[in-house]
Amino acid sequence: MRSLIDLIVSSEPAVRDLSMESQVSALTLPELLNQAELLDVFRRDRENLYERVRALFFLYAIHRFHLPTLVPESKPGKISFEGHHHFLHRRFNEAIDVFLADQERSGPSWAVSSALASAYHRLAFQTLADQVRKSVKTVAGNRWMFRMGNPDELPLRLRDELLQRDANLGYPMLRERTSVRMDFSHSAWSDIFFLGMDFPQGARVINASINLAVQGRHQTPEPPLDCCLRVIDQPVLRLVSIDLNAVVEITHLSQVFDFAADYLGLLKAAVIASGLVPAGLEGHQADIASVLRPLVGPGLGLEIVSRVNDIPKGSRLAVSTNLLGGLIAMCMRATNQVSTLTGSLTEADRRIVAARAILGEWLGGSGGGWQDSGGVWPGIKLIEGCAAAAGDPEFGISQGRLLPQHQVFGPAEVDARTRQLLQDSLVLVHGGMAQNVGPILEMVTEKYLLRSGAEWEARQQAIEILAQIIRHLANGDIRAIGAATDRNFSGPLQAIIPWCTNAYTERLITRCRETYGSDFWGFWMLGGMAGGGMGFIFNPTRKVEARHWLWELMRDTKREMEHALPFAMDPVVYDFEINDQGTQAQLLPGGSYPPGYYPLLVPGWLRQDIQSLSLETRAELERVGQLCRSSDQDLATRLIARILPGKADATATRQSLSDLLEIHGFDPIAHQQLREDLLAGRLGLAQNLLPATTTIEDVGDDDVVDCRQSVPHRAIDLGRQAIANGEVAVVTLAAGVGSRWTQGAGVVKALHPFVRLAGRHRSFLDIHLAKTQQAGRLYGCRPLHVVTTGYLTEQPIRAAVERWKHQHQSAGVYVSAGKSVGLRLVPTIRDLRFAWEEMPQQVLDQQQQKVRQSLRAAMLNWAQATGEATDYVDNLPMQCLHPVGHWFEIPNLLRNGLLRDLLLEQPQLKYLLLHNVDTLGASVEPGLLGVHIQNGTCLSIEVITRRMEDRGGGLARVNGRTRLVEGLAMPNERDEFGLTYYNSMTTWIDIDQLLARFGLNRTELNHSERVVKAVRQFARRLPTYITLKDVKKRWGNGQEDVFPVCQFEKLWGDMTSLTDVTCQYLAVPTLRGQQLKDPAQLDGWLRDGSAAATERGCDFVA
Amino acid sequence: MTISKAVITAAGKDQAHLPLQTVVDQSGRARSALELILAEVVSAGIKEIAIVVAPGEQDRYHAAAGNFASRLTFFPQPEPRGYGDAILRARSFVGGEKFLHLVGDHLYVSDHSQWSCAAQLVAVAEREDCSVSAIQPTHESKLRFFGTIGGSPVAHAEKLFEVTAILEKPTPTQAEQALIVAGQRSGYYLCFFGMHVLTPTVMDLLVEAKAALPANATDKPSNINLSDSLRKLIQREKYLAFQIQGQRFNIGETYGLLIAQMALALSGPDRDRILVELIELLARPK
Repeated sequence: MRSLIDLIVSSEPAVRDLSMESQVSALTLPELLNQAELLDVFRRDRENLYERVRALFFLYAIHRFHLPTLVPESKPGKISFEGHHHFLHRRFNEAIDVFLADQERSGPSWAVSSALASAYHRLAFQTLADQVRKSVKTVAGNRWMFRMGNPDELPLRLRDELLQRDANLGYPMLRERTSVRMDFSHSAWSDIFFLGMDFPQGARVINASINLAVQGRHQTPEPPLDCCLRVIDQPVLRLVSIDLNAVVEITHLSQVFDFAADYLGLLKAAVIASGLVPAGLEGHQADIASVLRPLVGPGLGLEIVSRVNDIPKGSRLAVSTNLLGGLIAMCMRATNQVSTLTGSLTEADRRIVAARAILGEWLGGSGGGWQDSGGVWPGIKLIEGCAAAAGDPEFGISQGRLLPQHQVFGPAEVDARTRQLLQDSLVLVHGGMAQNVGPILEMVTEKYLLRSGAEWEARQQAIEILAQIIRHLANGDIRAIGAATDRNFSGPLQAIIPWCTNAYTERLITRCRETYGSDFWGFWMLGGMAGGGMGFIFNPTRKVEARHWLWELMRDTKREMEHALPFAMDPVVYDFEINDQGTQAQLLPGGSYPPGYYPLLVPGWLRQDIQSLSLETRAELERVGQLCRSSDQDLATRLIARILPGKADATATRQSLSDLLEIHGFDPIAHQQLREDLLAGRLGLAQNLLPATTTIEDVGDDDVVDCRQSVPHRAIDLGRQAIANGEVAVVTLAAGVGSRWTQGAGVVKALHPFVRLAGRHRSFLDIHLAKTQQAGRLYGCRPLHVVTTGYLTEQPIRAAVERWKHQHQSAGVYVSAGKSVGLRLVPTIRDLRFAWEEMPQQVLDQQQQKVRQSLRAAMLNWAQATGEATDYVDNLPMQCLHPVGHWFEIPNLLRNGLLRDLLLEQPQLKYLLLHNVDTLGASVEPGLLGVHIQNGTCLSIEVITRRMEDRGGGLARVNGRTRLVEGLAMPNERDEFGLTYYNSMTTWIDIDQLLARFGLNRTELNHSERVVKAVRQFARRLPTYITLKDVKKRWGNGQEDVFPVCQFEKLWGDMTSLTDVTCQYLAVPTLRGQQLKDPAQLDGWLRDGSAAATERGCDFVA
Repeated sequence: MTISKAVITAAGKDQAHLPLQTVVDQSGRARSALELILAEVVSAGIKEIAIVVAPGEQDRYHAAAGNFASRLTFFPQPEPRGYGDAILRARSFVGGEKFLHLVGDHLYVSDHSQWSCAAQLVAVAEREDCSVSAIQPTHESKLRFFGTIGGSPVAHAEKLFEVTAILEKPTPTQAEQALIVAGQRSGYYLCFFGMHVLTPTVMDLLVEAKAALPANATDKPSNINLSDSLRKLIQREKYLAFQIQGQRFNIGETYGLLIAQMALALSGPDRDRILVELIELLARPK
């Protein structure tokens, strides 16, 4: 075995590219710990970025994947609060020191390894982010902007041409039109900055600049990104986004750096990155006039307008980076920073614009790849990483430079016929999904550094496919290009990141093959993942019909899957053409605005006293009047639509919301009481906490039954027998929508086909039903299976269950309808501040944290302006409602009569296995059931060893009594870190005992009034928690806003706080009890064997 | 080879009056700015001086030249066709010799104990036997006023640089990409001092530049730029830049004359008196 440090420092590719896994798989625990210690020492004193980062990823992998296989899960270990505190405040090095000291003191354990893995992982990405930030700042041409500390020092002046005022038309206008980029291949995400900087020889992308037309909306393809700049006669910086309907007049310097205060963050980033307001001025307390005076002249200001021509978000065409590039190019032209005012840019100019666009991305808290500003360049080009040489700021730190080099293909490399053929073959679409590609990029970086065998092989294949595409372009063989992009997607891309595809995309591809056979030439993934912007290549003779057919297919498939997958909009099809000029600027007479400018600005002007308007604005109004009177009827119509808005939509929304509330059992009296309690301070996040005098201690060995290694044979036999007798049913909790899973997108998490198992994409529900199938096969009687639902999930889950039953020709699966719903409220300022200032949370990277603070300030304003604790109604009706907590899902079984019906159908039924939909390891395990039966408690709750990511309460002795305590109720953050076990929520329930606690029995389930009364009385014994949830509001072309809203919940775990409910706690393996809450967990879940274990526990029907 | 001729350009638009203004020199004597410039030139051992002026300005300049009037030869520039064109007017005057060139709107204060700014430059040019431009490290916020060079330090020669690039009034963006010189403070660039020693090749390059102008540019005559010719000079022959121990003051800027006057006064025997006056001014309520 080689030392892991050899893998890092070796200059021999054969050693350097060895997978870490191959080197550590045979190590003993002491050997592995020794390697970890050496790596930790090594990474601390290395200057080289790559060496430090690769060592950090090795350390992460050791603690995440390898060490846990050598340490028994039952070995005690606790995560130190001090370490966690450092972690949350991004002091990752300090956190690691504390965790290592814990490990030294108590020996290795799952808990401490999980903490170390998280800290090494974050530190690795922090190191990368710091290096990119440093490199961006040190690119020649960018540095001066960080040195400017005073408006008096501002060196830029607007070009004279832009200050030549025309008596009738005002100041001239500089207009920049930019295309977007479409990548043929990115060689398996090799455009991630770190890959480009560490592996320049493998960082290769081919992309084309393209003009677009959305079918049905535009006639011919045009550069879709349009920006204008002109001088105005007011000392303000006016930023306008026509497509986002947003205007702001900036009067103070601080507003420029307030990125999330409005929708104009990207324009602000462009203003800063272009040097109009240099980054060094951040924090300076000055009026914007003091910056504008030297730049434009006294009493004058600037107006910058942007317009994205109807391209929806998630297009995977790098719209925002190219818009940023276009804006920056325009501002740099206007201030003489590039060589030309109009026309094309030179190569040197494009490079500095690209560097500034990267800076702008970083300022705005987003991040694109280094190829993303490809739309600034013309035509089709090869973009490659290049080795850092002496004199480069990266030299000695990374192998490659931050910025790549571009080779634009001329007619010799790609002739006109090939370009035309490409346009005639490729159907470019937006499938409607808008997903966050961030987690995928992190996974790619991690896998690259670990060099896992299959994935490293796949990277080589992707590099080879790119070379093939270049050859096919030279040969004009579009069919071969289609085959290559298809092979790229189904082969290396999915081998590295299985999550880059999804059930929707796979369905589309399958249907294309079925319908078009050999005339379907291949699928083409754009950007980071499929589902949004995508390409389908057809034989040119069939492209026109295929285009329409594909649109219909996407529309219908989206309708079928929209409850299961996060669609942001209806699919669209584009026409496109290759842009052979790159970004272009023109100097136009004043008033030559893009469509949509006047309808956006004029209503605001009309609302003001005419005397308060500047002379230019008054003249502008006269021009608009003249246009409306003479020729432009469209403008007149749009202006009237703006000035006299309709109200029909709002009324319809309210009507439909009130209907829904009535249908789903909304209690308006309780809701009003909740509002009053919130406003009076009787309820709130601070009131969720247990009294500060509560003592919370860890449980002892006697408080849990340790089932992690084994359970007695007798218990297994007992459990087997009970299953075979039909004494157990499964209850899958699926009333919630899984806000974290899709960041509040409102899709049904249970139905999300998130993973490919046994050859097909499977949803959470598919997996749970397949496990029940297997239990039936193994034990001779398939348990009944109930899926609980809520207002949002009932219909889609009912439909899915019906499909499942039809497919399996089987009954025994039931849907439990929700019986209660809440109406979300605008949060109180007090709760928002408590959540953001008092509760522990992860501090973000420097710039992202600034953006977060800015957003939070905007949200506080929103809550204040809308009204604290008022009903949240400004969204789709379904997004205004909320489920009221999973405690209600068992009482719902009583109230809706389903438990009664099950007991009638199967009177021998005695036990329920209750579990969350995202607890994929939960199954009808005879041993655990046997332990439950043996001990005869009302509830047996499964707990797992706490790991770093398991936040939110756990098993504790609360004032001396063993019970579960919710994270929401923890009076002291520190207490949670003293707990060994985390609540998996999986509960074995003795039906008769539970009914007895409700004051009911099997017979009384027939008396609905008695049941309702019993549930109501029982509910009063449990605390009500106030929570804040993120909810998405969608608008425009796939745009999304996320609002924090207030809702209430009662939680199942609090059943254990009741003294008359007997409970026992079963410590189970983590594989069984872990929950999938966030898509970012998926890769680890796949690699640590959890996915394979889940698959083994399922009987899927093909 | 000894340098004995100088060319001063003062024909620029809005520039004609600048050398005629009165300032008080280090010794407390009121003199015209032109007289100070001429004194600077003469201190470098220059014998003959050409001044390029706008038509009709000759007499006023002659009157303002004081004791130096006898050394002057005037060359009118009929129409404003750029800095390069102004120098070219004196081509016949310099003949085939190297010459010192100064702009007419700058005053200079030497930090050297013995040598004036011009004398420092001329000494280096005579020693190196090539064109040498005087330069001064200048903060990036002032780049818009100056031609700026990029280059590398000459081995074993203090404050001497081999010029590799020249940009006229660059933005900091351009300067960072093309004009970084090793050893300079961050954010500082080597900008022209308004003073050069030029070889006859520069005159040849200016002639070439003039010949290359479009023949029919009658509406708006094109200008001949000195920086363009100096950029070509880099390709033709040895061209150095020398960091002067001294300061230059552009009297054409807002408050330029005031600041130049202060610098002169503070470098002379009346320094303490001026400082007292300044402090009293500062102490008064705004």
